[in-house]
Amino acid sequence: MGGVEDDEPASKRMKLSSEALIHLSNGSTVKESIVGSSRDLMARPLQSDGGEEVVGSKGVIKKVEFVRIIAKALYSLGYIRSGAHLEEESGIALHSSIINVFMRQVLEGDWDESVATLHNIGLTDEMIIKSASFLILEQKFFEFLDEEKVMDALKTLRTEISPLCINHGRVRELSLSIVSPSHCFTVRSPKQNTSRARSRTKLLEELQKLLPPTVMVPERRLEHLVEQALGLQRDACMFHNSLDEEISLFADHQCARDQIPSYALQVDANGISLKHKLSGHQKPVSSVSWSPDDHQLLTCGVEEVVRRWDASSGECLSVYEKAGLGMVSCGWSPDGKWIFSGVNDKSISLWELDGRELECWKGQHTLKISDLEITSDGKQIISICRETAILLLDREAKVERFIEEDQTITSFSLSRDNRFLLVNLLNQEIHLWSIEDDLKLVSKYRGHKRTRFIIRSCFGGLEQAFVASGSEDSLVYIWHRGTGELIEALPGHSGAVNCVSWNPTNPHMLASASDDRTIRIWGLNNLSAKQKDTHGNGIHYCNGGT
Amino acid sequence: MDVDPRLYEQIAVNDTDVHNIIMSYLVHNCFKETVESFIACTGMKQPSDYLEDMEKRKRIYQFALEGNALKAIELTEQLATNLLEKNKDLHFDLLSLHFVELVCSRKCTEALEFAQMKLTPFGKEQKYVEKLEDFMALLAYEEPEKSPMFHLLSLEYRQHVAESLNRAILAHGNHPTYTAMERLIQQTTVVRQCLNQEHAKVIHQTFCHEYLVQRNSKLH
Repeated sequence: MGGVEDDEPASKRMKLSSEALIHLSNGSTVKESIVGSSRDLMARPLQSDGGEEVVGSKGVIKKVEFVRIIAKALYSLGYIRSGAHLEEESGIALHSSIINVFMRQVLEGDWDESVATLHNIGLTDEMIIKSASFLILEQKFFEFLDEEKVMDALKTLRTEISPLCINHGRVRELSLSIVSPSHCFTVRSPKQNTSRARSRTKLLEELQKLLPPTVMVPERRLEHLVEQALGLQRDACMFHNSLDEEISLFADHQCARDQIPSYALQVDANGISLKHKLSGHQKPVSSVSWSPDDHQLLTCGVEEVVRRWDASSGECLSVYEKAGLGMVSCGWSPDGKWIFSGVNDKSISLWELDGRELECWKGQHTLKISDLEITSDGKQIISICRETAILLLDREAKVERFIEEDQTITSFSLSRDNRFLLVNLLNQEIHLWSIEDDLKLVSKYRGHKRTRFIIRSCFGGLEQAFVASGSEDSLVYIWHRGTGELIEALPGHSGAVNCVSWNPTNPHMLASASDDRTIRIWGLNNLSAKQKDTHGNGIHYCNGGT
Repeated sequence: MDVDPRLYEQIAVNDTDVHNIIMSYLVHNCFKETVESFIACTGMKQPSDYLEDMEKRKRIYQFALEGNALKAIELTEQLATNLLEKNKDLHFDLLSLHFVELVCSRKCTEALEFAQMKLTPFGKEQKYVEKLEDFMALLAYEEPEKSPMFHLLSLEYRQHVAESLNRAILAHGNHPTYTAMERLIQQTTVVRQCLNQEHAKVIHQTFCHEYLVQRNSKLH
């Protein structure tokens, strides 16, 4: 067998002898009896250039391992002759001769012989030998049952399996299966599946998982390594924004920038025609948001009331107010059945659509004109509660968590999977926080400009892999969320860009709103300009003014 | 509870009550000769139907305790027909006793056949499947005494089954299944526990010691 992985220099390597001791890389030793035929001889002595042979430019791939997994892949693909030829030509055997014998015995059902061979492979871990013996004898047991040789099966159980003294739970199940060969018990389906002997090939696969990988190369190892590499390439690809990208093995995967929306498809100054003018608020309107079903709008007057409108008729459906107090922000529940709003006495109120107040949380909860969001499962309400802290309130557990920052927080936005929060800070940084289990700062994004106004940022793209933000230098900034690298700074607006919103269903479309009184829709260069509404569940704010 | 527990010393005890308690205990446990002599000594009225059945129950109990379940079952059927049909758990337990006997005598083939014929039909109900698994597991070991289910071979287990059978037979004949004595001891133990908890004391003495052994303070 050619499995010589030796960390010592050539001079210390064992010479060919009739019983060779081979040190395997996992520290265990394999004793081998060499059979006389030429196929079974150890590999031709390797070049004695000191050290082991390696392939690849980095010198980390051991040649013997490399050849063995290629041979394994050839056999898996069904190219038996090619596999055998490779073994012969390279002088590196996929498996040692004793393993080949073992495998043959298992496939042919020579159970007792295979258990004996198992002991001769030279494994040092007793448990592995016992577990493997257990599997083989279990197969013997079930094959007896299949052939209706009940007493033989019982004998195997009593004299061979139980004495191993492992896996007593399984022994119990086996004893039961002696009396239930014809599935006469009604309720036990998950266990029923194992009461028939499985195929010997499956048994071999199970055994191979049990034995150390250097002894028996795992199935599909090469495929697994390749998939791993492709996965890493995909994760590292900063512009990856399309589902239908096919990854080829011939070149490293790298999307071109052209997957990021960077082309102004439509510039609307007065473009979007006015449908309704919703009047009723006495004070400036600080926020507006669409209902989850897109039929209604919720607006909030600054320290005034919250109003609910029908979007198609323009009619005001409800007014939510609290005596002596003013509302500062508002939002919809994910199911559209209730609304919540921040009140200027620092509490948060929950309302039924018909105007009845449901709940009220008091305390240091909201500031004036602050962001207020709710997770899509309706469980957590998130709001800015102090200048430098964000509160995450779990409605059911009544637990409060806080994100603390050093700088003043200006705005935040929640990712669609409820796992991340983007926090905009006074010092022109955007921080990405993970909010799933522990609150953790994950990334920071810099480059945009913010000095005077509130700028909003958002998640976007395929699997929300990007972060976009407006900026006072009139550019739209886009970063790769994972690496934090700035990918694009899109020119086009002639005034501060206040707010951006990435299309939730089309990863190739982005909208931005600016002080230059226009809204721009950004898309891919080769797409025809499509006007798609980007409101969806998003909340859009305008700086001051109605 | 603020009441001094030693107030019990003020309660009068009726002799007839005591005799009845003792009698019920003796009858339950089939101490026939003792019953007869007790009746003679105290002049109590003899409960007529008890005595016949007592003899039969005694034999059934003995057979079950020895592990001769088949005989126990046969006699039970004679004494109380349909009893085992109505008490499937008990029936299974009795049959399992026989199975255990076969396993202990290393008669594996017979044990297997018996299990297949008599025990597996119970397996249609989920709760018996686990029990069945317990017993079948005994077959898997050449030395069942060393298997994880060795407790099924013990005297305690047989006692448990025999007692369940005894109670079932009594119930079948509309007799009380628990003796007054048992109930009294159980209730008293609970009361003691409550009292001791109230005073934050841990019960060190066993029931026997508490009530049957004279305390030093009372000797004088």
